[in-house]
Parts: sequence; structure tokens; C-alpha cells
Amino acid sequence: MWTYEKRLQYPVNIKKTCPKTASLIISQFGGPDGEMAASMRYLSQRYTMPCKEVAGLLTDIGTEELGHLEIICAIIFQLTKNMKPEDAKTAGFDAYYIDHTTALWPTAAAGVPFNACEFQSKGDAVTDLFEDLAAEQKARTAYENLIRIIDEPDVLEPLKFLREREIVHFQRFGEALEKTKLKLEEKNFYYFNPEFDKQFSKV
Amino acid sequence: MSDRIQLLEEIQQVGFQVDDLTLYLDTHPLDKDALDAFTQAKNERYQLMQNYAREFEPLNIYLVCPDTNNETGSYCKYPGQKHFTWSDGPLPWDNQGGV
Repeated sequence: MWTYEKRLQYPVNIKKTCPKTASLIISQFGGPDGEMAASMRYLSQRYTMPCKEVAGLLTDIGTEELGHLEIICAIIFQLTKNMKPEDAKTAGFDAYYIDHTTALWPTAAAGVPFNACEFQSKGDAVTDLFEDLAAEQKARTAYENLIRIIDEPDVLEPLKFLREREIVHFQRFGEALEKTKLKLEEKNFYYFNPEFDKQFSKV
Repeated sequence: MSDRIQLLEEIQQVGFQVDDLTLYLDTHPLDKDALDAFTQAKNERYQLMQNYAREFEPLNIYLVCPDTNNETGSYCKYPGQKHFTWSDGPLPWDNQGGV
């Protein structure tokens, strides 16, 4: 189960309304490499992970990603909460406004709604950990794409923090993959799937 | 800077140390230096959370103590009345300090 802590992991204090920026950052809420996909990916994969420490790491990173989802939502909320009707016409935000006003709804910047196909839970430890490593790099790239075109320091600071976390998670998943390999057949990591062919597992 | 924001920033900083060391220890469970750093950060965080709950609102449900929370009566709908203090304080997604 989870316990809520009534604070953000990193502070968000944005004073300037900017629906255009919100319409881009929303991809890190409900987009293909966003925080919702990240959290659901790790929290879905953990049940069948053959290595207990790796299941624990997936739980802890999946939990931190929920905190990141909250930071992203706080950024979007603060960028749009004082919007006036003329701001709602901003290109890129106008279509979203028609369907959701200023409420938070998970979607990619290009308008594709959040979809569970954004992440994989394949049931093979090697496959899933490579997915996780790639996911962290894709999220880093998405943050860098945002950081490159956003000028407002109040918005940039939390984005820079989130980008750094992608790198740390990548590092931890790399270590998790090495730990998992120790439990596989050393001459052929693909000799069996440790999440299914349990009779071969050294666990 | 208000006491509230300053104390919250201290919790955010030491809380982040706990978050980061948790992930490191998940893959390095025998690292003595990291274990010492984790224990120190975790204890410091708990102390700050208790201080914050006494002065302001409780940040998690287990710190709710209707008799001792929120001495400053900050962001409180029921000043002077015994009440469920979980609802005191600004929302986390409001601008820092709820301004």
C-alpha cells in the first residue's frame, strides 16, 4: 500500500501564466515517455521479477515516479490557474481547453491520450530491464527537449531536477540488470526465461 | 522567507537524501557509508517532520495529533477548536506556501 506525504519532492513556484508551455510539458504527464507511463511500467513489472532486490527497486522507483507525476501536474496547474479567456485561445492549448478547461488530464503534447501501450510489461527480466533503461533515456531526452526551448527559470528548475533523476534511475536499473544476470545461465543469458521457466532458475 | 517555507525546504532537502540513498541501497545493500548516511538522513527527516507538524500541519497521516499540531494556527479553518488537522495547511500543488 502507499502513504501520502503532503508535499512535493521538489518545490514548484511559478508566478507567470503560460498555457503554451503547459501544453508542451503535459507530455511528461501523459505522453509516451511521461511520468505516468514510468510509474505504471515499474509497478506493473515488479510482481514477476525473479530477483527480490530488483522487485524492491522497481517499487521504490515506481513510487518516486508518482512523486514526479505530482511535480509535473503542479507545474501545469500553476502555469494555467490564472488564465483569462484570451489566454485559452493560445495555439496548442485551445483544443485541450475545450475538452478539459484547466483540469489535469494525461495526454501527449501532440494530443494523443495516455495509453497503456506507452509501456511494456513483457514478463522476461532481461527484456523488461532493457525497456526500463531505454525508458529513462527517452524521458531524459524529452526533458532536454523541453529545457532547450523554455526560458522561464521558475519552470526550468524543477525540469532540471527531474532530468537528473532519469539519469540516476538509469544507473540503478543498470545495476539491477547486472544483479539479474548473476542468476541466469552464465554461458547463455537467454537459455531460459527466469520469470516463466522456473525449473532452470538458480534463484 | 517564512518559517514555514524554510522548514519545508529543509524537509525537502533531507527527504531527497533519503529518497536517493534508498535507491542506491536497493542495489548496494552492504555499503556501510551509505547505510550510515541513510540512518542519519532518515532520523533528521523524522525530527524535522515532527517539528513541522507541531508548528504547522502534519505532512503525513501518522503525524496527525489534534492536541499538539499547528501551534501557529496557520491555514486552519477551525482555530481554537479540536479538529482533524490533516486538512490544515496549503495544498502541495499550490504555489509554495500557498501564496
